[in-house]
Amino acid sequence: MNCAIMVLCMLAQMSSTGPALSPAAAQHLEAGIAAEKSHQLETAISEFRKAAEAQPDAAPAYLHLGEAYMSNHQYGDAVIPLRRVLELDPDLPSAHLLLGYAQLAQGYAADAIPHLEKVHETGALGIAQMQTGQVSEAVSNLQAAVKQRPNDPDLLYYLIQASEMLAEQSTDTLFTNYPDSNRTHQRRAQNYFALHQAAQAEQEYQRALAISPEVPGLHLELGQVYAETAQWSNAEAQYRIETQLQPGNAQAAYRLGEALLQEGHAKEALQELRRSNDLQPDMPETLYIFGKAAFAADDLDAAQKAWTRVIAIEKESPLAAQAHFGLAGLYRKQNKAAEAASEMQEFWKLEGRNSHTGDGRR
Amino acid sequence: MRFQGAAGHSMNRGFFRSGVHIPAGFAVLLLTLAIFSVGFSTPTSPAVFHLVQPKGLDFVLQNSPTSQKYLIETMPGGVALLDYNNDGLLDVFLVNGGHIIPPMAGVENFDRHDRRYWNRLYRQNRDGSFTDVTEQAGLAKAGEGNYGMGVAVGDYDNDGYPDIYVTSYGKNILYHNNGDGTFSDVTEKAGVAGGGWSVSAGFFDYDNDGKLDLFVTRYLDWDPKRSKSCGNGIPAYCPPGEFPAVSNILYHNRGDGTFEDVSVPSGIAAKKGHGLGVAFADYDGDGFTDIFVANDVVEQFLFHNNGNGTFTERALDAGVALTTDGKMISGMGVVFQDYDNDGRPDIIVTELPRQLYTVFHNEGRGIFTERTLETGFGLLSGANSGWGLGLEDFDNDGWKDVFVAQGHVIDNVEKFDSSLRSLEPPLLAMNHHGRFERANAGSDLPVAGRGAAFGDLNNDGWVDVVTTRLGAPPQIFLNNGGKQHWLSITLRGTRSNRDGFGAKVTVNGQMRVATAAGSYLSSNDKRLHFGMGSAQTASIEVLWPSGIHQKLNDVRCDQFLIVKEPEHP
Repeated sequence: MNCAIMVLCMLAQMSSTGPALSPAAAQHLEAGIAAEKSHQLETAISEFRKAAEAQPDAAPAYLHLGEAYMSNHQYGDAVIPLRRVLELDPDLPSAHLLLGYAQLAQGYAADAIPHLEKVHETGALGIAQMQTGQVSEAVSNLQAAVKQRPNDPDLLYYLIQASEMLAEQSTDTLFTNYPDSNRTHQRRAQNYFALHQAAQAEQEYQRALAISPEVPGLHLELGQVYAETAQWSNAEAQYRIETQLQPGNAQAAYRLGEALLQEGHAKEALQELRRSNDLQPDMPETLYIFGKAAFAADDLDAAQKAWTRVIAIEKESPLAAQAHFGLAGLYRKQNKAAEAASEMQEFWKLEGRNSHTGDGRR
Repeated sequence: MRFQGAAGHSMNRGFFRSGVHIPAGFAVLLLTLAIFSVGFSTPTSPAVFHLVQPKGLDFVLQNSPTSQKYLIETMPGGVALLDYNNDGLLDVFLVNGGHIIPPMAGVENFDRHDRRYWNRLYRQNRDGSFTDVTEQAGLAKAGEGNYGMGVAVGDYDNDGYPDIYVTSYGKNILYHNNGDGTFSDVTEKAGVAGGGWSVSAGFFDYDNDGKLDLFVTRYLDWDPKRSKSCGNGIPAYCPPGEFPAVSNILYHNRGDGTFEDVSVPSGIAAKKGHGLGVAFADYDGDGFTDIFVANDVVEQFLFHNNGNGTFTERALDAGVALTTDGKMISGMGVVFQDYDNDGRPDIIVTELPRQLYTVFHNEGRGIFTERTLETGFGLLSGANSGWGLGLEDFDNDGWKDVFVAQGHVIDNVEKFDSSLRSLEPPLLAMNHHGRFERANAGSDLPVAGRGAAFGDLNNDGWVDVVTTRLGAPPQIFLNNGGKQHWLSITLRGTRSNRDGFGAKVTVNGQMRVATAAGSYLSSNDKRLHFGMGSAQTASIEVLWPSGIHQKLNDVRCDQFLIVKEPEHP
């Protein structure tokens, strides 16, 4: 986490406030800061301790000492001087921040929370709350932290973990309090599906549907169970019901189109995929499979437009590579050798790039 | 990882923001779910075949599975249907694996001197029983150090008797048919021992000189010392990408009983792959037979015959290297025949689960388009591992149907994915005007199917199937027959090779390429079978490799017809 800069800023502020330092304390403090700058942490710690001994009411000396301990990963040793700082200056933000970190690092999450709350350090606070079982608060704080620092993998990791814990807690509540509700069966079905147990997933979805046949999404999910187990006619039937329940649901139309294409009914697939694209335009995968359906239905103009659009949207992704490959085949069919060769060139270029980035299929 | 839909495209990421929650890493699990039900449902329609266990056919394919998971163990073995003694009855030749004693130390003998590990030739008797004639035919010696794989059959010396070529991990063997019920090992003289890991092979005449040449696919640069297990703690066979690719071999028949390895000058050796199946046809109608090699997880190869002794690999340009989504396929078996009766040979490739058996439709002008979904294979595959296959008209309705021997390559795949099965029943799909639908093969017994050969075993006018199974006897699917008419044609080349391989035979609008090759490791009945539906007479056109165009009109159906190539155009 990028807290070091923040702490240094606070330390700089701290150094310019509070009671005047005695010459001896000031001398040791400066020596400690110099040693710290040159990465001589042991020397710095020694100097800061001397400064604190020279002037026991000098908060900056304790604060620097705590911070030096932290830098040296001596979190337990950091706690005592940081507590002393707060005795001397109870509202000092940098001390709260460092003490919160030190306690969290040692596993004392509950003790860390008030200090982290005091300085609104939402990232560390979220982690501490997660560890103390305050999961929904943790999710909220981690989301705020991620918003501020979107490229921090640690924060993203903890947000994922907290979100999963929250989902787990909610699931437990659902299962315990409403064991026979349609949502309980739906959630069970999703769990079975994740565990490869398609037969059980199907059973649970059917139970959910028996209770609430018109709940949006259930038929769609059941259709996906059938689709992923290659029962395409069953999948198609479920998707059809979903499209009737939710005529405005682009995904349902997309799924139905996909099932129809899989069954070899390209023209019917084309209708649904066109509808999906109308409902939610420019979804790259919808456009890609639309291109496939159009190609299969011998509507080469529509296929060309769809795949060209995929490339415009996706630029260099694996899907764009697939669209180039599709266009190459289309141009070959149209006896346009030069265009086909050009598309193949683009395909290989992207394939090579994607394989280097680990995103390719080869 | 992006969730790949079963139709081969990625899922709409946007949908998942508001739709069903898919946890990270779930995609792989979902993909594997595409395995349930498809391969294991038995249609309720009447069975096209019934399984028989003919008396005397006591072969067991000894692949010797070990805990070391040597890759060769899971790849055999071939079957050939041939009439070696010209008595009018199809005989059966079966390739055996060998004995593996782990750990393999390097050069192994595979105990091929032991009867259990012999290849076998079974002569068919008039009563439908078989007699093991392996020893008396001189085929008992499979060669120590050869772990058997596949078989090709062709009359390479045009003496009227089919010769046998056996491929191996080790060295391949050419057995010359002496015409008196015996064979001679002529490998050394002929110069066709190959080496490394050979898989499928086939005879064809690439230079139209009237003498059959020989093509051999090779799989991997593998040996026991470099063997490894790839199961993340659970021993399992490795995917081919773990080992270096190798080139295939083309032998040119000199006509004096010897062959010349022309792999390099012909351009064949320029492409390295993981070759398994091979099939031949003149896909662009230029009069020269081309080669399709089913490659395992590299691009498929289509070697275009330039007509001057060289080949150019054109799979990408022709549209058969990858799927329509630009993805690699695990090509294993292949057939190169016309499924939609448009007169042009198409290609069907069998593959692993999560891929669909790929149908490449020949559009003419030397290009193909994938029509896997349009032909119904989206509903027929995706859950199965296909090996040997045939495109034959099993119900004699005038449309060629598909039969696939199936079984997962990993014999303990259930340990990795409970939705997969190592043993699978075969697939039979009937062709309804270009669209295939699952049919009742007469057995839903799950097996480790591998090789498959097609031919009319009992000469009743209905095509039968023989498949091989790892660690088990072959399965013989006898066709239950029906009321439709048929015609079986044996070509007798004079200017062309005697078997007429490479000829394009059209009967009442249906086309077949004359060949015994295709499938996986196996060799089919060389007779060309045509289902005639309700027709009782036929018009036949034969375009011989020599270029001679022969026409026969008002030919009576329901007969075994020999068509001799005219001596003069």
